[in-house]
Amino acid sequence: MAALLWRPVGRYCLHGHLSPRLCIRNWSLPMAMSIVHRGTGVALSAGVSLFGLSALLLPGNFESHLELVKSLSLGPVLIHSAKFALAFPLMYHTWNGIRHLMWDLGKGLKVPQLYQSGVAVLLLSVLSSVGLAAM
Amino acid sequence: MASVWRLSVLCGARGGRALFLRTPVVRPQISAFLQDQPTPGWCGIQHIHLSPSHHSGSKAASLHWTGERVVSVLLLGLLPAAYLNPSSAMDYSLAAVLSLHSHWGLGQVVTDYVQKDALQKAAKAGLLALSAFTFAGLCYFNHHNVDICKAVAMLWNL
Repeated sequence: MAALLWRPVGRYCLHGHLSPRLCIRNWSLPMAMSIVHRGTGVALSAGVSLFGLSALLLPGNFESHLELVKSLSLGPVLIHSAKFALAFPLMYHTWNGIRHLMWDLGKGLKVPQLYQSGVAVLLLSVLSSVGLAAM
Repeated sequence: MASVWRLSVLCGARGGRALFLRTPVVRPQISAFLQDQPTPGWCGIQHIHLSPSHHSGSKAASLHWTGERVVSVLLLGLLPAAYLNPSSAMDYSLAAVLSLHSHWGLGQVVTDYVQKDALQKAAKAGLLALSAFTFAGLCYFNHHNVDICKAVAMLWNL
């Protein structure tokens, strides 16, 4: 089932005469979720490093920067979406991280379980991100 | 670096469903270890060395792997704990564990994508500098500025 969802991706690769390295693979949900796990991890690390480095390098303290953002008078929808955009990578990486730790314990490695736990992680990520953004 | 993987081959009560890692075609490097097909009733643990390397490094690699998991679990516990019980000790431990987890995580990314020896050494050195500065920045933030837990609360109350 998952292969059917990914077939258009392969076709796109061929149309664009792109390198076949990405096209010849049969993309699957676990594979995509794995690369997203890595992507969110790198993004989160970049965010934390940016935060740490700006604390060292930028003048002014945290409150002044917050006041700056407040003075922009951004609409509530924008603020909500920004909170969701911040929370989602963290939640995805956290829930998928738990899934990884379960694998390290040797649990849930059968193929159907891979897909089930994958879908569960996606659902939990969306729900918890929405919940956090609403707080 | 050698990685030692422990594969527990489960004896399914449902009659031996295939473990997803088991393939009928085995790559030459590990065929020496997987040649003996486990008999249907066999339950046990199979150790597989995946890459040939200096054996002195394998203990270090194994410890590194375990350390990574320990730090991950620690961070997992720290997140709700910091929310429920913010304190100065919590802020500093969060800074330390976050920096370490991200340092080791990015280290894996570098290992995977930067294969040339000299370039990998340079990348790892740059990563160490980045992580050190990040940790320093987080501690500085904790000390001179608001606490990390409070900062997140303030940001979220925007």
